[in-house]
Amino acid sequence: MKRQYGITVFLIVTAILFSTFALACGEQKAAQPQQTGPVVIKVGLPTALSGPAAPWGQAGIDYYNAWIDLFNKEGFKIGDKTYNFQLITVDDESTPEGGAAAAKQLIYSDGCKALAGHWTWNYPTVSAVSNAAKVLLFTRTGNEAVPGGVYDPKTQPYTVFANPSHQQYLSDCLALVKAYPNYKRIGILDSNLGKGIGWDYIDQSLDAAGIRYHHEWFPPATVDFTPYITKYAEAGCDIIYSGGDITSPMLVAKQRMEMGYKDWHVGHAGPFVDPAIYLAVCGYEAAQGFLGQYWCNWEFKDTKVNPKYITMCQEVEKMVNDKRGGKSYVYTGWIGWLPSHLLIYSQAMEKAGTVDDPDAIMKAIRGGTFDSTTGKWTMSGAKTYGSPVVFGCPGCICQIQGEKEVYLSESAMAPIP
Amino acid sequence: MPPPGIWIDGLVQSSIYITMAFGMVLVFSILGILNWTHGQYYMLGAIAVYYGVTAMGIPFPFSMILSGVIIAGLGVVVKKALIDRVSGDLYVGALTLALIFFFEGAASMLFGLQDKGLTQVLPGVLEVGAISISYQKLAVVIFTLVVMIAMYLVLNRTKIGLAIRAASQEPNAASLYGIRVDRVSLVVMGIGCALAAWAGCIMAPVYPVNPFIGRIPMIFSLLAIVIGGLGSLTGAIVGGIILGFLNSVIAYYISYYSEVVLFVLVVLILLVRPQGLFGASLK
Repeated sequence: MKRQYGITVFLIVTAILFSTFALACGEQKAAQPQQTGPVVIKVGLPTALSGPAAPWGQAGIDYYNAWIDLFNKEGFKIGDKTYNFQLITVDDESTPEGGAAAAKQLIYSDGCKALAGHWTWNYPTVSAVSNAAKVLLFTRTGNEAVPGGVYDPKTQPYTVFANPSHQQYLSDCLALVKAYPNYKRIGILDSNLGKGIGWDYIDQSLDAAGIRYHHEWFPPATVDFTPYITKYAEAGCDIIYSGGDITSPMLVAKQRMEMGYKDWHVGHAGPFVDPAIYLAVCGYEAAQGFLGQYWCNWEFKDTKVNPKYITMCQEVEKMVNDKRGGKSYVYTGWIGWLPSHLLIYSQAMEKAGTVDDPDAIMKAIRGGTFDSTTGKWTMSGAKTYGSPVVFGCPGCICQIQGEKEVYLSESAMAPIP
Repeated sequence: MPPPGIWIDGLVQSSIYITMAFGMVLVFSILGILNWTHGQYYMLGAIAVYYGVTAMGIPFPFSMILSGVIIAGLGVVVKKALIDRVSGDLYVGALTLALIFFFEGAASMLFGLQDKGLTQVLPGVLEVGAISISYQKLAVVIFTLVVMIAMYLVLNRTKIGLAIRAASQEPNAASLYGIRVDRVSLVVMGIGCALAAWAGCIMAPVYPVNPFIGRIPMIFSLLAIVIGGLGSLTGAIVGGIILGFLNSVIAYYISYYSEVVLFVLVVLILLVRPQGLFGASLK
């Protein structure tokens, strides 16, 4: 009797709870107003917000959000509908596991239609998730995205290489040679973690371009570069251009001064997060002339950028600088990443006439010409990558003078076969 | 034959490994534990001196002394509040391993992840013929010599040094002679952590400061004491010298494989002499 009573009470309570829940859902659904404003396209940004790579991941966030706010004032149109972007950022910890987790969260929990702005070194795991879900991934090339690498256009048909790292490095070296035509040899520096077919591919490109270079590899976490600087000196190098992190070239810049090689030029293939870091770590004198990539499109001399995007980028810089108390701009790397990716994505959706069909959008991307924050480029790389999904970019170099970055030289990227 | 710059570089590398290893051996000889957090005291010392110089304007030498004292105090607190409450080498090891991540995480939150530098301390280069050495690196070598002389005097010419040596050799007998072994162990922990912190302080103007700089010095100081012989102070010095010079010379000849070769050499040394160069023979 008691047991029957207990079961009855339990069933009644469960029914009440279930009904309440169903009612609440229904009310919520009913309460949703009809959408009259722009349609929102969610874009996921898996990026390093923790760990040693976090400074680069964090550097662009304010700029990206400001860019999207600006972009959304007009948005993009398909038919009579206007579309806006909403950016969702998740920390991928710059690890394979973190990348996969971030991609899954962005796609399956947050409902992102595309992943963009991706630059961390976990392409295989991120692309495995995004391609399986038929979600476009706008990313950089790395060791994996060369002939013989992990990238396969058949199994990864939704990947777009909007930042071609290898071709960028070659363009950077050509810009350096343009700036220093009497150079003796470029010393290439990278951790041995980066050794692989990617660097082999770059070496072949440098050989084909007739650039003299000497490669040194160091174990990760090396802080004493005396042996490597000695080897560069013995090889006759006078420009050291690193392909990896920022700590190692900063230390090379500092230690080469201490070893008496004051006339060398030292830099890295990446934009400056903040010149103040280099001044603090290298020392003022050693930091002078430090080289880095420069995406300041209003200062490009050889690459033509749509004035509309130049104005937008300048406005974003102002918005972020005002937010930070009026500090003058120091980070320009953001210009060549997410904004460029979103412009390619939005223009491709406009061409394809759809936001929901990833195959149609990719068809519009392959071999298409797009206008971005770093110029107008045609997707290429059909022979090199197996699919024309590689976007171009200028190789533009700046150097630290005083406490600021100053334009040095530029070399437009040649189309990739 | 490597050029002179490589040998000087080896001397600088050796200096820092010696200072770190010495502190580690001191702690091991009294407490019988390998303090895995030793590298984090190095990192905390570097961060403390960075803030002392840049935020508080305290001259570098005084900041360094202060940092050592503060980190020594921290080490004592960790010993008293945590290590002493855990019994068993395995559990103490696990505790100090966990503390590595705690200190790194805390430093990341408070200090940030970006590299910071103290290049304004001891700028300039000493040039002697074809050889150049920065004043910062010269200070590292001089500092290590001073520390070794000071430690020799403390351990051999003072009462506390006598107590430390007695407690490390025969703790039970030492306590019978009225030596407070528990207090001595706290003093030793403080000295060991201070040595690690001062190593971090003296290196702060040489290399960038960030929350992760303690890991490699920890590994190399552990290798130095293993090569030299666990529990041997002389061994820590010799192990540090061997490791520092090997690291520099091997990197010069085989940059890409330098770590692999270095660790293979360490393994070979241990295969020939498992107790280390100055350790007692294993029975």
